[in-house]
Amino acid sequence: MPEAIFNTSVYFKNDYEDEWITDPFAREMILDVDKSVVLDSAVIDSPVMGKIPPTSLSGGVKTLILIQNEPEKIFNASTCGNNCAKWILKMSKDRDLTINLRHIMDFGEGEFLIRILNTDQIVHNMKELVPIAGLYV
Amino acid sequence: MRGKHRIVVQNKRIRYDFSVKRNITVLCGDSATGKTTLIDMIREYFENGEKSAVDLLCDKQCAVLEGRTWIGQLSEIQDSIVFIDEGNDFVVSEDFALAVQKSDNYYVIVTREGISTLPYSVEEIYGIRNSGKYGSIKRTYNEFYHLYSIPVPNGKVKPDRIITEDSNSGFQFFEEICRDNNRISCISANGKSNVFKAAAKQAGNRLLVIADGAAFGPEMDKLMALMRNNPNLVLYLPESFEWLLLKSGLLEMKEIEEVLEHPEDQIESSEFFSWERYFTAYLVRATRETYLQYNKRQLNPAYLQKKIVDKVLNAMQGIELHQ
Repeated sequence: MPEAIFNTSVYFKNDYEDEWITDPFAREMILDVDKSVVLDSAVIDSPVMGKIPPTSLSGGVKTLILIQNEPEKIFNASTCGNNCAKWILKMSKDRDLTINLRHIMDFGEGEFLIRILNTDQIVHNMKELVPIAGLYV
Repeated sequence: MRGKHRIVVQNKRIRYDFSVKRNITVLCGDSATGKTTLIDMIREYFENGEKSAVDLLCDKQCAVLEGRTWIGQLSEIQDSIVFIDEGNDFVVSEDFALAVQKSDNYYVIVTREGISTLPYSVEEIYGIRNSGKYGSIKRTYNEFYHLYSIPVPNGKVKPDRIITEDSNSGFQFFEEICRDNNRISCISANGKSNVFKAAAKQAGNRLLVIADGAAFGPEMDKLMALMRNNPNLVLYLPESFEWLLLKSGLLEMKEIEEVLEHPEDQIESSEFFSWERYFTAYLVRATRETYLQYNKRQLNPAYLQKKIVDKVLNAMQGIELHQ
């Protein structure tokens, strides 16, 4: 998928907007994945690193924020760990998302609706996803 | 480079303490565990030394490799531990694999993508976890942990079918055992990159996959995902078939025990791309001009004698292939 943005951290650094950080959904993702609290658009309170700028968020959260705010772009979601998977599913409740995966992301035990573009097949759970996606990662 | 090397890197807020012992170590796992922070601290120390306010203790130089000029950077790094963060797509290239193979550095690579061009071990894929706060309550301590712990089945595994990664001596050995045991069938996947496809096709059978753990790292993510929904699928991952033969005790040489205890002390990374190649070379050398002379391409029939087969099968803990 040559159009996918591989280095999402670099893209985020040059592209993010202040309101993306203070958005309630982003605040929730940052709290859940990074265990950090957004103080304002430029300052985030990390339990480990202290007060940090948005560019120092985890690679996974930065990619989630890009997916949320740049729907016309395709991002390398293999910069996200499995603890980001539920947020990708949540974002896909409202709209179709296209992401580029280079590993098997664990979307959990529940049901979902994912179209694997390589084969144009729709899968509903990990048992269906793994045997197909595993041939391409 | 050879041997195990401990790395302690810390600033006022965070401390990492871990060791590396093979030419390639992979870091992955959940987001926000501190992988990029680790690389940042190594980079800051590499660029600024003690004036970075980062402390780094290691008996080897630690460096960071990144960006489009990686070939030039790497040409100036020798006998070092080289860290590479995610986002550097050169790590999947043939050029990078060739550079790793020729160099005397160890590499620590952050990636969730399986890098099929690099033969890294399932044992050297780690996540980072918080191990608590000690001394200063301000400082978080982080350590590496093995990301893949292969589930241990209750009792002995008695498969209906075996898939070997190997198509040479290893496959020929297990094929012969299965021929004597009508209950089990054996097929070769003809290489590690075909194992997933072969295993996915066999869902439902009591399936045993035998592959070289020393180089199977790139395939582990998807095999583990397949196993989560296929409880009848079991992985057996010795370092390599040759390692299994050495481990079985069929050669009565005291030196072998010491080699198997700490292979990292023997294996020079610039000579052996992965440990499996070392064990093959070792077995070939140890059996030269004996009745057990080993040939990787064609199994010496001497290895099919009952007493040798029994020793090898007994060395496969948790697996039952006897009739």
